[in-house]
Amino acid sequence: MLGSPLPVRRAVARASAAGKCALTLGVILALSALPVRHAPFGLVLLPALFAAARVAGLKLRAWLKRSLLALPFVLSVSLLGLFQPDGGALFLAVLVKSAVSVLAVQLLLQTTPASDLLRTLRRAHVPEILCSTMLLLQRYWSLLADEAARMRRARAGRTLRAGRLELWRAQGNALGLLFVRTVSRAERVQAAMRARGAP
Amino acid sequence: MHIPDGFLSARVAAGSGLIAGLGVAFACARVRTTGLGSRRALLGVSAAFVFAAQLVNFPVAAGTSGHLVGAALTAALLGLPAAIVVMAAVLIVQCLAFGDGGLLSLGANVLNMALVSCVVGYAVDRLACGKNPSPTRRVAAVAFAGWCATVAAAMSCAEQLALSGVARLRIVLPAMVGVHALIGLGEAMISALLVGSVLRLRPELLTRSGVNHSRSVLGSGLGLALVAALLLAPFSSAAPDGLLRVAAQLGAHAPASSGIHAPFAEYTLPGLGTGVLATVLVGVCGALLIFGLCWLFALLVVPRRRTPAAPERASSPIAAE
Repeated sequence: MLGSPLPVRRAVARASAAGKCALTLGVILALSALPVRHAPFGLVLLPALFAAARVAGLKLRAWLKRSLLALPFVLSVSLLGLFQPDGGALFLAVLVKSAVSVLAVQLLLQTTPASDLLRTLRRAHVPEILCSTMLLLQRYWSLLADEAARMRRARAGRTLRAGRLELWRAQGNALGLLFVRTVSRAERVQAAMRARGAP
Repeated sequence: MHIPDGFLSARVAAGSGLIAGLGVAFACARVRTTGLGSRRALLGVSAAFVFAAQLVNFPVAAGTSGHLVGAALTAALLGLPAAIVVMAAVLIVQCLAFGDGGLLSLGANVLNMALVSCVVGYAVDRLACGKNPSPTRRVAAVAFAGWCATVAAAMSCAEQLALSGVARLRIVLPAMVGVHALIGLGEAMISALLVGSVLRLRPELLTRSGVNHSRSVLGSGLGLALVAALLLAPFSSAAPDGLLRVAAQLGAHAPASSGIHAPFAEYTLPGLGTGVLATVLVGVCGALLIFGLCWLFALLVVPRRRTPAAPERASSPIAAE
């Protein structure tokens, strides 16, 4: 499964995805509504988030590690705030709001399977074409990623010179071949879907 | 360029989400009406391709690497509505499955990397390709389109950050555009290599039988005009133009009003007054109004011709728009 959640307690995992989503959005909205000088008060949410993570049975280290992936963008944009009047307060406000928001979102994603979230979107009347595209993406991305990895290994095994230009050319060609194979696979999948009665 | 949560204000996030939602809904409707909706497998597997292609890293320098984003490329390969649906699906799954990009800022990310990127990339590609392009021109067009799409998305992102009060526009815009102008070179190169490879292996995938070229150019031009109004209008200078400045220096004053009631006087919107949002909306309304008037004028003035039926051409599995 895409982005498979860390081991969690079943009760938390089975709780309504829509409810968890709404709660997370509420937290993010509350944070975004805080004025700049009151933004550090957003840190009061941290104990609640940590408590929720403990109840859910999340491994804190792994949860924090995944949250840190957003750090480069968070820091680089926050630093831009330093170049204006009262920049220190703005920098701190953006840092606090985004850090707490990222932790809340990661908590949601680690306690809710992606398929549940996508089903929630379907129930929210997201266009069917978009929903089916996402479901097929979920189904086939790992196959194509494996194929891309195999092509990369085959290319590495056959390429004696490792110059950057040759690498770019070889990987670009590999992606082109992957796209051609993608279209062929799509034709086969469509035929299989039609054979099973899909429109 | 995935904006995490905590950067955008609720108003900017909601506004971006609304525009993104409308754009994606329109694209979904368009995909259904063009018949591509019956080829859901192509959309889904193409989305999986974009997802997988983004995992392939190209070495840059000093231990860094870049990867394809694919908005302009997808638009060139699948057409605009399908590309918007595919990129929106990729971004939503990246957000919900990997936390790449925020939940509240999902609308803004879809606006930047699915709508703005695809529209600009498609428009530039169509305009640069022309009719029956040679392989070299085809590759060059998609490369340039990839670069333009990356820079346009960065401009849109910078505006959202500035409107949210995170940083001043005159600081965040050059920073974002400068960095992404370089990143766009990588996107251009990878797109060019990929399209060149597809042209060698299965060139029919890149030909579109029965495409109405004039409609494609018109749509591209309108799309570019609307995106320009959306992205560039906020940068309009408030300083007086040359005539008014000279008049002020000479002590002459313009009359209070011209006697004609203008609904968008001084480029303001009734009820919204002045400000960036009013300027953008007035720009978009103006572009649509002018396009509509020109279209009407063309319908009245240009005589219609009956064209003979076009000969049958080999069709590609990717449906024409």
